[in-house]
Amino acid sequence: MTREEKEARFEELDAGRALGDLDAEETAEWEKLSAFLGRKPDLLLDRLVGELEASSPAAIFPAGLAGRLVPAPRGRPRIRVVAWAGWALAACLLGLLALRKEETPRTVPTAVESRDALLREESQALRLPFAGTVGEFALAEGEVIWSDARQEGYLTLSHIPSNDPGESQYQLWIVDPSRDEFPVDGGVFNIGSSAGPIVIPIDAKLPVHAPAAFVITEEKPGGVVRSKQEIVVAVAKR
Amino acid sequence: LHDAKDDLVGKVNVSNSSPSVDAETFLSRIAGGDDDAMRRCLEVHGPLVWGIVRRQVSDHGAAEDLTQEIFTEIWKGASKHDPGLSSERGYIAMIARRRTIDWIRQRTRLPELAPLTEHMEIPAGVAAPGLMLDREILRHALESLSEETRRLFHLHFDRGMSHGEIAAETGLPLGSVKTALRRGLIEARVLLKRRLPVMTSEGGAP
Repeated sequence: MTREEKEARFEELDAGRALGDLDAEETAEWEKLSAFLGRKPDLLLDRLVGELEASSPAAIFPAGLAGRLVPAPRGRPRIRVVAWAGWALAACLLGLLALRKEETPRTVPTAVESRDALLREESQALRLPFAGTVGEFALAEGEVIWSDARQEGYLTLSHIPSNDPGESQYQLWIVDPSRDEFPVDGGVFNIGSSAGPIVIPIDAKLPVHAPAAFVITEEKPGGVVRSKQEIVVAVAKR
Repeated sequence: LHDAKDDLVGKVNVSNSSPSVDAETFLSRIAGGDDDAMRRCLEVHGPLVWGIVRRQVSDHGAAEDLTQEIFTEIWKGASKHDPGLSSERGYIAMIARRRTIDWIRQRTRLPELAPLTEHMEIPAGVAAPGLMLDREILRHALESLSEETRRLFHLHFDRGMSHGEIAAETGLPLGSVKTALRRGLIEARVLLKRRLPVMTSEGGAP
């Protein structure tokens, strides 16, 4: 590659850097060319992307988040603590206790209920069967249900050996070629009873748009950021 | 395509979209410790930042944490914004996008690039009339882009579509979408530079 070609290649990679679409190989190539050519990131590209992004679709800002980001108003006159404040506080606490007694506990749907609701409400949801691999995972079976629209999904699994969470955990990976070459982390989970079936909500860490396969691996406790796929438990693919 | 062009060009026309958004500025007041400016900045730009984050981060809790980090960076670096170089909204969008990209790179263990803020320290005194990424000039530059580039920019920036979604929408191969967006950005920069002869690639004085 001539110097001019390297310059042109760096330009293209630097645009990818500003757009945020460099993959691992391209990032390494950017670093190498940057050092070789003595080039730095072009901030004009970033500013240009910023200006273009400035009118991108907005979303409703979570109300609770604003409170975490802005300090309480300052400079307001302090309320004087008067003698009746203690009685008022006691009355409030009593009121709260009375209210709590009357409160109906909030019902949180189980994973099974949530999965069934997804199946009822999302006729377009993807359904793929899981197949076990080899050895102790040969009998593993089940199904994955995933909705691109709701970014929600569930695994229903049977005959996967129970794990000791202190030793290892199962981890789901979602292969989405429309994103990039790295599968998306779908969350870690434990199997307490090997017979099953057990329903596990998918906890995709990144948006998934066109999943081609779902892979369960066994990893160290807490999971890993990138799996070496040394122990593949089960696979579901289109 | 007509719609794409109108949207893309209209978006940089301040009077076309949200005049109050760019008319009111906050960062210099925030740098001076004005809490009310912080609140107002969140009201005006919070939905933009949240939209940028949520398009990339599906987990609600993680998105909230990342948004908090973004605004913390904006608060801390409020004095670094130079209104002579970029609009406040563009500056905030740039930080939000950059931090979101960094977050994804960390999650996927992609090699991390040097933080952009290290390069954003623009020496005092270099800003001068004529250096600003003027919105009118930007509008003219975008009008000069090829039809295909305007279409892809419209899908990516106006409609917030990922490369994969654009490929599905247009029927173009994924790699072609990626390459076309990159080359389109380079093309836009070339057109801008022709109109801003004093602007250097670092955004400072030549």
